[in-house]
Amino acid sequence: MPQFDIATFSAQIFWLFVIFAVLYVLMSKIALPKVGEVLERRQKTIEDNLGKARALKDETDAAIAKYEAALAEARNAAQADIREASEKAAAEQAKKTEALVKKLSKKTSDAEKAIADAKTEALTGVAEAASEIAREATEKLIGVKVQAKTADKAVSAIVGE
Amino acid sequence: MAGPLEQFEIKPLAELSLGGIDISFTNSALWMVFAAVLVTCFMTLSMRRGALVPGRWQGAAEVMYEFVANMLKDNVGSAGRKYFPFIFTLFMFVMFGNLLGMIPHSFTFTSHIAVNFALALVIFIGVTVIGFMRHGTHYLRMFFPEGAPIATAIILVPIEIISYFSRPFSLAIRLFANMTVGHIMLKVIGGFVGLIGILGVLPFALLTGITVLEFGIAALQAYVFTILTCIYLHDAIHMH
Repeated sequence: MPQFDIATFSAQIFWLFVIFAVLYVLMSKIALPKVGEVLERRQKTIEDNLGKARALKDETDAAIAKYEAALAEARNAAQADIREASEKAAAEQAKKTEALVKKLSKKTSDAEKAIADAKTEALTGVAEAASEIAREATEKLIGVKVQAKTADKAVSAIVGE
Repeated sequence: MAGPLEQFEIKPLAELSLGGIDISFTNSALWMVFAAVLVTCFMTLSMRRGALVPGRWQGAAEVMYEFVANMLKDNVGSAGRKYFPFIFTLFMFVMFGNLLGMIPHSFTFTSHIAVNFALALVIFIGVTVIGFMRHGTHYLRMFFPEGAPIATAIILVPIEIISYFSRPFSLAIRLFANMTVGHIMLKVIGGFVGLIGILGVLPFALLTGITVLEFGIAALQAYVFTILTCIYLHDAIHMH
């Protein structure tokens, strides 16, 4: 087996050491630092970007909170306005209703008064007419002139019953 | 027809020697150079742009980096950070060596016990030195766990010593055996394909399956080699 040919060992081992040493120097001085640097830079970039993203997110959150606060404030203001307006409207409505009620009741009472007046007048007219008719009827029937006062009294006694 | 062991033969491409010791540049060294060049190209060209959002190649290079970095972190912890370039080089070198061996007519330098054992020995000695540097003579406690009854020392200490010193052997032989057996199997089954005429489709189908399996083993054995190194490193830094 060629592997056990001791005569070849020195040459194999010599070149192994030479080539391995060269490769070690190339790796440790050139190749590996470069890879390490690239990986480190990538790590740093990722962390930077994450930090930036976090900052932006915080900013966004703050903006959202601000917006929501403004929205809530606006909503409250609007509700206050609505309440005020509706209260005002209700008050006005109540006032108007009251005025209308007053006006209507005044009209009613005026009308009632007019009716009462008319009734009184009518009754007075009826009594006068009745006493007149009674006097004339008495004069024509029995020729007695009844005084107006007496007739009125008699009529009102009857009407008044 | 080439024998199944011929693929493992070391062929000098340029005869060299240093102080009487043979250091010829061989096919093994050539494929080590290929592996090192490929790893270097992969790790540098793909990271050339160093884009924030990685492309396909950059993503692959980063995955390898993070894979090894996590392996080291999970097994050794933050104290292992300074050994990361070594662990990474080890993993990539072994894995590319294993994978390049899957190219037909190529050479698998990790199928050679000399290469694997040299790597394992460097790891073993390095880990032992780190252990003694961090813990001083207290590192000898590795051979006799804290809290064990003193009477058991006569059994425990030899067992621990044997298990400690067998580490480089198990590390080297596991990789060697996996690579060698896989390649021999491919070669032997491949030999049947042409020999038995139309029935050759059967070994060919088998060969296809085993090739897929061998790719998996190539990556897995590199992973095992590296993770065992991490575990030894953990023992050296944190003891048991």
